[in-house]
Amino acid sequence: MSLALATLLYEWRRYMAAVMALALSGLLVMAMTGLFIGIGRGFTAQIDRAGADVMVLAPGAKALGNGPSGVPRRFIPLVYRHPEVVQVRALSGWGGQFQSIKEYDPTESAAERAKRGAPRQEQVQISVIDTAPGAVTIPTDYSDELVNALRQPYTVAVDETALRRLGVKLGDKALLNGNTVTVAAVTRGYPNMMVAQIVVSRDTLRMIGGPNDSSLRVGPLMVKLRDPTRAPIVAAQLNEMGGGQYRAWTRGELAQANEASMFEEGILVVIIGGCVVLGTIIGVAITWQTLRGAIMANIKEFASLRALGVGMGSLRRIIMELSFWVGIVGVLAAVLLTWLVSILALAGAVIIAITPGMLIVVGGGLILIAMLSGMLSLGVLKNSQPADLLR
Amino acid sequence: MMTTKVHGNHGDFAIEAKGLRKRFKTGRTFIEVLKGVDFDARHGDLTMVMGPSGSGKSTLIAALSGLLRPEEGRVDALDVDDLWKLSSGRIDKFRLDHCGFIFQGFNLFPALTALQQVETVLKFQGLSDGDAKKRAKAALEEVGLGPRLHMRPSSLSGGEKQRVAIARALAKDPKILFADEPTSALDGENGQIVIKLLRRAASEHGAAVICVTHDPRLEAWADRIIKIEDGVIIDDRRHVPDPNAVLASHH
Repeated sequence: MSLALATLLYEWRRYMAAVMALALSGLLVMAMTGLFIGIGRGFTAQIDRAGADVMVLAPGAKALGNGPSGVPRRFIPLVYRHPEVVQVRALSGWGGQFQSIKEYDPTESAAERAKRGAPRQEQVQISVIDTAPGAVTIPTDYSDELVNALRQPYTVAVDETALRRLGVKLGDKALLNGNTVTVAAVTRGYPNMMVAQIVVSRDTLRMIGGPNDSSLRVGPLMVKLRDPTRAPIVAAQLNEMGGGQYRAWTRGELAQANEASMFEEGILVVIIGGCVVLGTIIGVAITWQTLRGAIMANIKEFASLRALGVGMGSLRRIIMELSFWVGIVGVLAAVLLTWLVSILALAGAVIIAITPGMLIVVGGGLILIAMLSGMLSLGVLKNSQPADLLR
Repeated sequence: MMTTKVHGNHGDFAIEAKGLRKRFKTGRTFIEVLKGVDFDARHGDLTMVMGPSGSGKSTLIAALSGLLRPEEGRVDALDVDDLWKLSSGRIDKFRLDHCGFIFQGFNLFPALTALQQVETVLKFQGLSDGDAKKRAKAALEEVGLGPRLHMRPSSLSGGEKQRVAIARALAKDPKILFADEPTSALDGENGQIVIKLLRRAASEHGAAVICVTHDPRLEAWADRIIKIEDGVIIDDRRHVPDPNAVLASHH
């Protein structure tokens, strides 16, 4: 084992401040980035788990909701012209007002009633599924029971993470755009921090006054193929057939484009960039000072090595190796902390997504910070004057 | 046991210095610590440099070993003419190849075991891991620390720590061994072990051992005793060492 590694392991308390500084810098950046990716995932969850092999969106659109992603209705027969397409359905969405209903006991006093709080009203995003068996609009992770429940008129499904926000629980009645609906199912894994999403059948949507079969524009088209493995080829062929009027995506392509489009938002770059700058400054400052102190604590030992003829260059290499190891431990601590925070966040329906790419970039950054701090603290080695030991 | 390699011929000059001058600035005045000192030391000799504190004896060995540049004078060591003409990197290399150092404080890395302390320096000398381990083990066994190879400084006594430091210096098989007050932090018994090890480095390995001390009882083991006061050598005499001398306890 090298001197640097042995020192770090044996005197780990001395290096704890540096490791923690790196871990917290890493946490700051990873948690913020992960949070935004997580928010994006809330929107992309629908794409990832859609039953469609190919999706047809308006040109330029990179998300299912969130902007003009729909196409004219006449594109449905256009897409059907491809021989491998077996089913095309529009993914209709609609906005709505959701209001919980509170049943009051008429004998209750006004004060008691007030304690239970007022009913809640929330803006929601309504998305739609077809309840016919094998419909392409049913997400892959929906159970038959869930689809059966939604097949009843005036029923809605709410994600478990939105229940509290909407003030309802399974079986409750509520008002959706003025229509009484029943919460007939609870979904899992569709958290959305921005707006609660509820799912209804296409028939229910029509009955509560949403877009129906006569509207000229529909949402993005969900396309099922005879052979799903040929999705990339069919998507390319569909794009050729469309001549630029629409864009056909495979599921993977769209999910990727969707995630990437998050970071086209200027404000996200500013926030994450700010976190990176802040994290770097804090990380370097604390790691530098900690390393300085640690080197000073062993300065006599370094001086005795100098006396024995070990050159300054070799001592510098020891310090750089030490900072490298501090960086490695810092990365491990950062990953652990971020993982813990993401578990905590998930309990509150907030997704902090940790992606491998992010780990590599942030991990590399932390090691760089540690090495930079090591370079800054090389100056104290000048104090390793062996002549000082002779007194 | 370590293979005994004898450096040079007993009695040959290992180091020779002429007209060393060194001044230190304190406040606005300069203090001349070395006032034109001529010095030499021979292979196989345990040369004792004695003097009260502030006499310049530590400064002398710093100048001899290439640690502290004198204002005037030259040092010829082994086959190097005028050590101080070399670049600082070359001086480091010279020390790495030929010099051992033992200090009053032991200056061992707290994180390393006795074996690792010695190995580390050997690896810097360019030895392979296996060779470094073998040599380090042999050196530690020579100073009687065979059973303590895997202990860290925190679990070694003061005497044992100094023996690790000696093993670290001896493992390099140095031609010149500098020791600065090697026994002053030790009790009589451990001091005796240490001075005997230095004696052996001179007699058996043929190293030129230059030992700075203010402890007159160490004289018994010396081949040559040089007294220095106020930066001037006032006495230089040869002496027949008594290998069976006993260093009484300080207490």
